Amino acid sequence: MYRLAKPGLLLSVVALSACIAGNSSAQSETTVSEYNQPAETSAGHYGVGSDASLTEIAGWDIDIRPDGLGLPDGSGTAEDGEMMYEEQCASCHGSFGEGVGRYPVLAGGEGTLTEPRPEKTIGSFWPYASTLWDYIHRAMPFTAPQSLSDDEVYAITAYVLYLNDLVDYDFELSQDNLAMIEMPNKDGFFLDDRPDVSNDQCMDNCKDPDSIKITSEPPPPELSDEPEPVAQTQSVSPGAAVYQKACSVCHAAGIGDAPIPGDLNAWSARLAQGRDALLTSALEGKGVMPPKGGQLQLGDDEVAAAVDFMIEQSAQ
Amino acid sequence: MTSKQSASSEILQKVAAEGEKLPVAERRNFLKNGLVLAGGALAGAGIGGRAKASDENLPPNIPTWSRTLGTGVLTNPYGKPSRFESDIVRRNVPWLTADRIASISFTPLAELSGIITPSSLVFERYHAGVPDIDPEQHRLMIHGLVDRPLILTIDDLRRMPSTSMIRFLECPANGGMEWRAAQMDALQFTHGMLSCCEWTGVLLSTLLQEVGVQKDAAWILAEGADGSHMSRSIPMEKAMDDALIVYAQNGEPLRPEQGYPLRLINPGWEGNTSVKWLRRLEVGDEAWYHREETSKYTDLLADGRARKFSYIQECNSVVTFPCPEKPVKEKGRYEVQGLAWSGKGKIKHVDVSFDGGVNWRRARLKGLVLPKALTRFGIEWDWDGGPALIQSRSVDETGYVQPTYTQLRDARGSSSIYHKNAIHTWRLHEDGKVTNVQIS
Repeated sequence: MYRLAKPGLLLSVVALSACIAGNSSAQSETTVSEYNQPAETSAGHYGVGSDASLTEIAGWDIDIRPDGLGLPDGSGTAEDGEMMYEEQCASCHGSFGEGVGRYPVLAGGEGTLTEPRPEKTIGSFWPYASTLWDYIHRAMPFTAPQSLSDDEVYAITAYVLYLNDLVDYDFELSQDNLAMIEMPNKDGFFLDDRPDVSNDQCMDNCKDPDSIKITSEPPPPELSDEPEPVAQTQSVSPGAAVYQKACSVCHAAGIGDAPIPGDLNAWSARLAQGRDALLTSALEGKGVMPPKGGQLQLGDDEVAAAVDFMIEQSAQ
Repeated sequence: MTSKQSASSEILQKVAAEGEKLPVAERRNFLKNGLVLAGGALAGAGIGGRAKASDENLPPNIPTWSRTLGTGVLTNPYGKPSRFESDIVRRNVPWLTADRIASISFTPLAELSGIITPSSLVFERYHAGVPDIDPEQHRLMIHGLVDRPLILTIDDLRRMPSTSMIRFLECPANGGMEWRAAQMDALQFTHGMLSCCEWTGVLLSTLLQEVGVQKDAAWILAEGADGSHMSRSIPMEKAMDDALIVYAQNGEPLRPEQGYPLRLINPGWEGNTSVKWLRRLEVGDEAWYHREETSKYTDLLADGRARKFSYIQECNSVVTFPCPEKPVKEKGRYEVQGLAWSGKGKIKHVDVSFDGGVNWRRARLKGLVLPKALTRFGIEWDWDGGPALIQSRSVDETGYVQPTYTQLRDARGSSSIYHKNAIHTWRLHEDGKVTNVQIS
């Protein structure tokens, strides 16, 4: 249906299509006429690229849909997932899915969507369980995306559903039953129906000047003795740059017991081990820290520069 | 207590509540930085070496730089701004996000002219940091409901007919911190998740014709190659309209921060759909409902329901001079300037009010007026030294008029996070200082 015979047909197809987001057909015509559409073509007209093999596609085709399309073979129980969650997820999301610092809250918040401070969690807001499997597999854990096995993703997904009281502790999640899990807020979404507001173009005496009150202003800045740089514009050492990119996610906030640079208590015993020991830990990983902090593209010398930067910040 | 004082104390309480979860030091640093920013701008001189110790370079004297040689060609092979403009940089709001890997920085709108955002200053938004991609090793895979699944290199794409278009790119969370109350005291932070560039690449419709789209195809999943593998479901109507597979920005290869070597641009739509570091397009018959179109980038209303696939960035505008970073220094005539934009097409006109919306005057649209692009407006104004409440109100070619905060909140509540396009108010004080306010 979208392989078009003539450029002119494109106009009518676009015009007739009920665009979900409410594009007007006039706008589409503007766009088409403004730019030169390529001449009439058929599949393979340009002959560029190479055919994608099934094996190549399988390696990258990771998406999961609400109907379960895309789920691989595998399974895992919430019980299986508990320890994995504690090791891989809890340092940011909290042992009960309560969130650490500004990292996302995963559980709770039921019934808060109409409150002044709604808490949008997996249990209170997400419409489909498939999204959880897809996202954990796609992007988690934060510092090492796509490092979990399919069974591990099933188990951690089951455990997060368990944290939201949606499945029992011994529930086994698999490709056969994931699409059947009904999320509490599955009917909470509707298609974009904007514009939902209408203003007029009054030009004169549009309101009573006396009715104008300032309803809010930002809080006044706190005064401080020590001026700080406005932005991160000053040049930084290579080690500081690597630290910022590869290490600060955990080390700046002390996530997963990562020692915070400058925290002398946390660093004194570590510094006593000597630079080589610290460098080895950084290169090979230690505890929940993956090798090179999960940034495997870094050269050993870059990691060493970051280690030196952290030592410099912490040695007194 | 005056109404202003009570409003001020109310916002303090709200912000305090908002900041409860934040580390105190982060919050303090942010406020301090905001102060330095405003103070520096107020002083005018002093930043970047603008202060003049004497008038030795002023008429009738011959300036130093007129009596000596400058540096030669290739001193800066890729060029860089004058050292006197070192204050024009992207900035972030530290307490907004947990770290700087999944975070955002803001475009310094107050410092820019015309409608093009320099590539170096386009706001940044990443979910897993900027990947360091070798273009020789990058591939775009197109598969799903197509006759001929393809893998394309950047060179393959550069062989195909190219299209260039100037289009704005805006994060739907732009201004999201202002839903409940005025909170940010700089244009950079109230509206800086916004940019406008010339984008060059291959129309997605051309690529889809090349692979041959099958019956029942209705959606396309676009996916990035970064660690977040950012993914969004795009309706076929948009793909066949003006979606562009982009490899160049403002004449140069895409910047790494903007998706090098390849990204999607969905003109007029929320920035998050314009997937960066694009590696895969899958054609399907249904939407995928991934995290960034369910948990995030849906608009929660007061009744607890949420608007989904709310792609379009509706008509919006803001005054860029005067603003907190660019106060007014003395009485007299000024051209007040601003930017307007609409995800639905061209800007039709912009009105400006200096009295908080009682009376409006039509502004002049300047330079290029392009669909789904930033449009600059200007209006001459005589400042008599008195206080003013400055607003702009834009109208696009569909006739949609930029709404007020009251209208938006009545329709949506205050928890939507995204798509806040309300008329913005700058309060000009008698000393020329400008602050962010919301008014009734």
